[in-house]
Amino acid sequence: MLYRTAGQFKTSYHADHALFPVRQDAWLLGVILVCAFVVIPAVASEFAINALLIPVLIYALAALGLNILTGYAGQLSLGTGAFMGVGAYACYKIITIFPDLNLVVAIALSGFFSAAVGVAFGLPSLRIKGFYLAIATLAAQFFLVWLFEKWSWLYNYNASGAIQVANVDMFGITVAGPNAAPVTQYYFVLGVVAVVTWFAINITRGRIGRVWKSVRDMDIAAELVGIDLMKAKLSAFAVSSYIVGIAGALFVFLWRGAAEPNLFDIPLSFRVLFIAIIGGLGSIMGNYLGAILIVALPVMLGTLPGAFGLTIASATVEHLNVMIIGALIIFFLIVEPHGLARLWAIIREKLIMWPFPH
Amino acid sequence: MNVHAMNTQSQSPDDGIRAGDLLMDVRNVSLRFGGVNAITDISFNVRKGEIRAIIGPNGAGKTSMLNVINGFYTPQEGTIMFRGKERRGMKPHHAVRQGIARTFQNVALFKGMSTLDNIMTGRSVFMKRNLLWQMLWHGPALTEEIEHREKVEEIIDFLEIQHIRSTLVGKLPYGLQKRVELGRALAMEPSLLLLDEPMAGMNLEEKEDMSRFILDVNRQRGTTIALIEHDMGVVMDLSDRVVVLDYGKKIADGVPDAVKSNPQVIDAYLGVEH
Repeated sequence: MLYRTAGQFKTSYHADHALFPVRQDAWLLGVILVCAFVVIPAVASEFAINALLIPVLIYALAALGLNILTGYAGQLSLGTGAFMGVGAYACYKIITIFPDLNLVVAIALSGFFSAAVGVAFGLPSLRIKGFYLAIATLAAQFFLVWLFEKWSWLYNYNASGAIQVANVDMFGITVAGPNAAPVTQYYFVLGVVAVVTWFAINITRGRIGRVWKSVRDMDIAAELVGIDLMKAKLSAFAVSSYIVGIAGALFVFLWRGAAEPNLFDIPLSFRVLFIAIIGGLGSIMGNYLGAILIVALPVMLGTLPGAFGLTIASATVEHLNVMIIGALIIFFLIVEPHGLARLWAIIREKLIMWPFPH
Repeated sequence: MNVHAMNTQSQSPDDGIRAGDLLMDVRNVSLRFGGVNAITDISFNVRKGEIRAIIGPNGAGKTSMLNVINGFYTPQEGTIMFRGKERRGMKPHHAVRQGIARTFQNVALFKGMSTLDNIMTGRSVFMKRNLLWQMLWHGPALTEEIEHREKVEEIIDFLEIQHIRSTLVGKLPYGLQKRVELGRALAMEPSLLLLDEPMAGMNLEEKEDMSRFILDVNRQRGTTIALIEHDMGVVMDLSDRVVVLDYGKKIADGVPDAVKSNPQVIDAYLGVEH
């Protein structure tokens, strides 16, 4: 009933190529955007913004970057964490060298550094595939984290070896650093994430998206329809690492405020990979669903006992959390191995039919 | 959504070669894998506008021959002249740019994509808008997309697959998958179309449909076709000239009737005491 598509006819290819051929999808997105931009900032507490909303957005963005590489172009990568690190360190250096630069510009520029590094570590993909490629990208993980530790120029020769975000102003408002208001940071992250997501949607539904998917589905056939595999794979590495790099810069500048090299180690890579897999490979929306499950749910579960007036030792809560999240991940993967996005697609299909399934 | 009936002549690729002239000339090609001689000293040619069949028993080197033609294998000896020019060190994606498209013996579609997207992928070579325009979507990228969508819809109409336009090809029955694959090859607007067993595993009705499509492609679009097929009835009816391979060697070449009565061909197919 709610999702009935009857009566929605397309009379031009222009209309057929719209982002949402079904009107209800556009409304749904409208509602979500209004919530994200208006309702949530007005309602949410500082804790919720800092612990839930900003990380969900940043992790979703990182997963989006990985999804372009793994879900769309079919190249498995375990170097996401390191590429995020490249973005973060690049942004830190750019801000150090040009303190007056607009933060948006700095973050956009830092993406190019991670893109270049991503392409360099993507070169093995021209020769090797699948798990073997994943191992090759693991080299990025080890090498880059080592570099973050040893190359002291990267962290301005700090005694601590960590990068510390100073206050960064944009148009007279502090957007990053200790003095920044969480709501400002939330809007900043939301803006960047929304724009990048829109770009990613456009790329993946156009020619380049089809080229990537064809390489993923059957690389030999792709070559024989005239696709240059080298270009296709390296462009996927470039775009993916660019987005991952931006996510890394946001990760440090708009959320953590400081970072040590080991923050970008393998666990971060795996976390992003889990989000992409559980959300759904080859889907844009899946990254958000995955991020909500992996990042937000533990935080919400952690606050539950307090809300019910129970006093459980925080260590116990932490353990319970791990168990519940682990069980949920297994549950979702068994119910729908193609991720939450596919689960939603099935629900949506059923809703379109409902209540007359024939 | 249907576009107007297509202009039959506009589809024919204009390459300055008149019908009946040589489009491709294979000269003394040999291909070896280690000690195995897959193809030994084969020469034959393809004239523009004809349907050329390559036949032979299993393992005769037919598919290897196609792989050599579209640059997937590089032969150790011999040359291939295409449109009067010799080809050297060619990669498959260059072959497409020169106007050679092919289908596969086992369906090689992009399973995770819809029929429309599969055929649109065949147009990738002609689409030029770069990443920045693609990011913005609206504007030049969309104009280009719709321009090519119209060409693709012509092919979809031609192959009568409108109803599966937005279905994932992995879910389609085999006969339709073969048709989508032909559509993807047609989207490349080839001047030479290589078909590797287009009717393998089809029932009679599907074979009849596919034969009709092959003849229509050849006549309406003026596409030259080289095909491998095991169904002799189909081969003899469709093709203008037939080349017969056996154990990597050419044993006969000519019009279907002459080939059919060639004693060497009969021996190769029926077997003979050595």
